[in-house]
Amino acid sequence: MIRIGAEPSKMREIDLDDVFLSRLQLLIVMSKAYLSGYPLGRHRINCILENANHVKLEAVGLEEDLEWFKDDTSFNDTLGFDSAFYQRVKLLSVMAEAIAKGYDLENHKKEALEKNLNAVCESITFTKQVSDMQFLKVA
Amino acid sequence: MKIVVVDADPIVRDFVVGTLMYSVNREVLPFENGLDAWLYIEDYGMPDIIVADVNLEDLSGTELLGKAKALNQGTVVILYSDLPEKEAMVREAGADAFLAKPFGVSELFNLVQRFVVDGRSSNG
Repeated sequence: MIRIGAEPSKMREIDLDDVFLSRLQLLIVMSKAYLSGYPLGRHRINCILENANHVKLEAVGLEEDLEWFKDDTSFNDTLGFDSAFYQRVKLLSVMAEAIAKGYDLENHKKEALEKNLNAVCESITFTKQVSDMQFLKVA
Repeated sequence: MKIVVVDADPIVRDFVVGTLMYSVNREVLPFENGLDAWLYIEDYGMPDIIVADVNLEDLSGTELLGKAKALNQGTVVILYSDLPEKEAMVREAGADAFLAKPFGVSELFNLVQRFVVDGRSSNG
């Protein structure tokens, strides 16, 4: 039996912040796979749409929380991102939806996507390289 | 390639299903309890991979593992939990992998690489 995941001393339930960050990482992989020219398929398209929508809604909620509780010192923002980060995440979600809907992104839009991806990646710790995931090269 | 995911928590279940479905570009079937998953298996046949929470209503993850392995030893069964003490129980029950919560995209990609792409289990 192989063992993957948290060390025993760090095991705990998966919370909403974990899911938001994991889905954001998945959205980054999806976008980078597109930029790398990896093939899409019916199920992948549905997954991108579903994931982009989830991340967008969560980013809207988290950004609203920042605004609502900006003067409340008891508010505990565990993620610690600023409003600009959530704006970039929402933009990334919209771009991913466009990819899934089959809109052909011209070069300058691909550059904008890449720039936005890099900015989001700078804010989170995520070391997985798309090139590591050979299974994405087949549909 | 048929994959089944069983988890009572819809937030975690949907995330796991979405990540696996994107990875393999095949349909991944979600179930909220072990019994529903088993009834599906009885009707439609054994999936290639079962990914399940250890704590499930009606039929636990380890019970589902036992039934699946009794029917087809080749079915890959991956169980996850947030409780460290469950790991030994899962190992003894014969799981192919134990996924310790919290896990994310990288851990699920790791499983796809091992059990779908490489097609190997480290049992034995």
